[in-house]
Amino acid sequence: MFVTGVGVVSSIGLGKQAFYASLAAGRSGISTVGSFDAGPLGRTLAGEVKGFEPGDHLTRAEQGRMGRCAMMAVAAARMALTDARLTASALAGPRTAVVLGTTMGEAQLLAGMDHDWIVRGPEAVRRSAIPKYGSTLLPIHVARAVGARGMVMALPAACAAGNYAIGFAADLIRGGRADVVVTGAAEVIQQLQFSGFVRLAAMAPERCQPFDLNRQGLLLGEGAGLLVLESEAHATQRGAARQAEVGGYGLSCDAYHITRPHPDAAGSIVAMRAAIERSGLRPDDVDFVNAHGTGTRQNDAAEAKVMHDVFGERRVPIASMKSMLGHCMGAASALEAIGCIFSIERGLYPPTIGFETADPECDVDVVAGVARAGKADVVVNNSLAFGGYNAVSVFARPGVLPPPRSPGAAAPDAPRAAARAIAGQGS
Amino acid sequence: MNPRAITGVGVASPLGVGRLAFFASMQAGARAAPVAGRAEVPAFDATAYLGDKGLRSLDRLTKLLLVATRLALHDARLKVDGAWTQAGPKGDQVGLVCSNAYGSLEAITELDRVAILEDPRYINPSRFPLTVANSAAGYASIWEDLRAVNVTISDGNCGGLDAIACADSLLGQERAEAIVVGGAEAMSEALLLAFQRTGALGGEAFLGEGAALVTLERLEGARARGASVLAEVTGYGTAFYPPERESSLVFPSAEAMEQAVRAALADAGVHAADVDAVVCGASGLAAFDEAELSGICRGLEGEAPAVVAPKRALGETVGAGGAMGVLTAMSVLQGGARGYGLRGALRTEARTVLITCLGYYGNASALVMGRSSR
Repeated sequence: MFVTGVGVVSSIGLGKQAFYASLAAGRSGISTVGSFDAGPLGRTLAGEVKGFEPGDHLTRAEQGRMGRCAMMAVAAARMALTDARLTASALAGPRTAVVLGTTMGEAQLLAGMDHDWIVRGPEAVRRSAIPKYGSTLLPIHVARAVGARGMVMALPAACAAGNYAIGFAADLIRGGRADVVVTGAAEVIQQLQFSGFVRLAAMAPERCQPFDLNRQGLLLGEGAGLLVLESEAHATQRGAARQAEVGGYGLSCDAYHITRPHPDAAGSIVAMRAAIERSGLRPDDVDFVNAHGTGTRQNDAAEAKVMHDVFGERRVPIASMKSMLGHCMGAASALEAIGCIFSIERGLYPPTIGFETADPECDVDVVAGVARAGKADVVVNNSLAFGGYNAVSVFARPGVLPPPRSPGAAAPDAPRAAARAIAGQGS
Repeated sequence: MNPRAITGVGVASPLGVGRLAFFASMQAGARAAPVAGRAEVPAFDATAYLGDKGLRSLDRLTKLLLVATRLALHDARLKVDGAWTQAGPKGDQVGLVCSNAYGSLEAITELDRVAILEDPRYINPSRFPLTVANSAAGYASIWEDLRAVNVTISDGNCGGLDAIACADSLLGQERAEAIVVGGAEAMSEALLLAFQRTGALGGEAFLGEGAALVTLERLEGARARGASVLAEVTGYGTAFYPPERESSLVFPSAEAMEQAVRAALADAGVHAADVDAVVCGASGLAAFDEAELSGICRGLEGEAPAVVAPKRALGETVGAGGAMGVLTAMSVLQGGARGYGLRGALRTEARTVLITCLGYYGNASALVMGRSSR
């Protein structure tokens, strides 16, 4: 199946073209947080989306029934449809599904209600605000905007939610349950999570410098990245332009610690190997890895271990878009998936800006400072999350992936031997 | 879908903790006794199942899910006395898929209270992870060593059935040999307030809580390891319909319910006339209950099997609701749940049961279950 359209709301640009231009130029989206006063927390920076005007993308009725997270998701969905040259009426019906990821959904709406309740009492909580809360609503709003009448599903898989959504969307098409899935993820910055990351001592004071010896942690970000996934038959029938082919994805769970990655990165290794094998590829076929690359000591060191284990002596270029976007939590791996498609379309690896000094603990080939031209036929999108989650997706230049193992791959339960092999590595 | 085997049950509910207690209550037609619009798991004591250690910083949602997960793994005999059994899959091949609608409002409210009334710098970092929606499932993976897939689904009161569909897909892609799947929702002041303020309680409707899980496996896998198959899941359907008015947000869609029912029957390869009973999601909210029943009727093309409504006994458990419906269907297949009839009389020999859920925003899901074919 193929990605035939993408839509972006991000701190480094609205829409695919602006996003691509910023990735190529290594532009930073980090600025002082404006939506709340972060001053007392001793940290003030984030990749906040400042140029987004809901009225440019949504009707008044739409704005009235949703929060900022869904507004960004719906705007990105519309951009993705335009990019795919699809009209909403073309997607109307039960064969179109919407699968979206997020960490917290409408966190700002909940915070507002909590504030009214705690400060002014239960009667002050506005009745009309309550039903707008709930991550359940994200795919509902998007389904209404694109005319989908199939499955609507929200996967709150924390900071791996984008890859979870894209992976499950691909499985829906693989399993014959949908022809088109509008997928991706959205997230907003909100004071409680911001404070939480500060209290976990995970937030950098000034810069997010993934893989750098002197890295001091992550910066948060926000945005929405949406993709149109189409079955080969559907894309062929309407003559859609294919931006990338969606390969396999890999999932595992560390079952180790609720917030820290496993120091041996065992689960993360299993997930990356699974994603590559389920794409019908070998590690040697991979050209570029988009790192989870949060800029925390533990995350980046764990990821370097994964790179060594999976690719051995071969130094596969790796970069972290979080150096530009900040960590957009649930939306991160969806926005970065679009960054992977940028690599495939432009033959460029996006840069890790702010990288200055190599860390012996992270002995990997970091794409430092400026974008680098290179072969990008097969790109791996890595993500890790709270809960010990590891989720990895693979994107490829159309025509590069081997055909699915059997023509009956639409029938689930097919790739048994491969799955056995993968499961065996987990023990 | 390829039929999937249910090989175990883990449940913590107002009608009992554990399969035997829960099904005994269902057989007897027991009902939770709501007080001020809510029914909790009475005297819930996680330490009785989990021991004394490591529970202090956890919230109620996580504890309910931990207990149900442990029970589901042991009931399926994947574990005995806390250890993986020789014959079955181990931690790297066992996963968890949990539906939950609202996350830990308990933890979010608690931290918001500290941040607002004191200072955001004083929020407890050990409670912060609980504010993330997949936290409870993440903790369950740690407690039970579940290293294959771990998924949380947020689909409101359709999530419990959608979780089964998700687990089916993951089993089909061989991402796990067994998946503990269902839903969990915990009572909290905030959730109760939200339901009260929006008028979703009152009349017969009350808010419940609990965790309802089943252990789902591919049939071949379950048979190969000699597991007893308690029931089979054979079909799933879902649909979304937008409202007529652009400004509507909360509304019941009978059309979505009808399409979900039709899709589930087609997926199971059964006809409307084959359905012996329906376990619906009617909770006492008149407009929604009527739309759900009307959608079921149209989806079943005029066939009128008996309909039971377990939310009359358990309350609205939102993210867990569909999963409570799955357990109720298992009881129906065993001749139970006769006390929760909404319409018609249950046949003693029910072989095929339809389970339905109607969402608040235009979505609906349906599942078909049957007795073990062996």
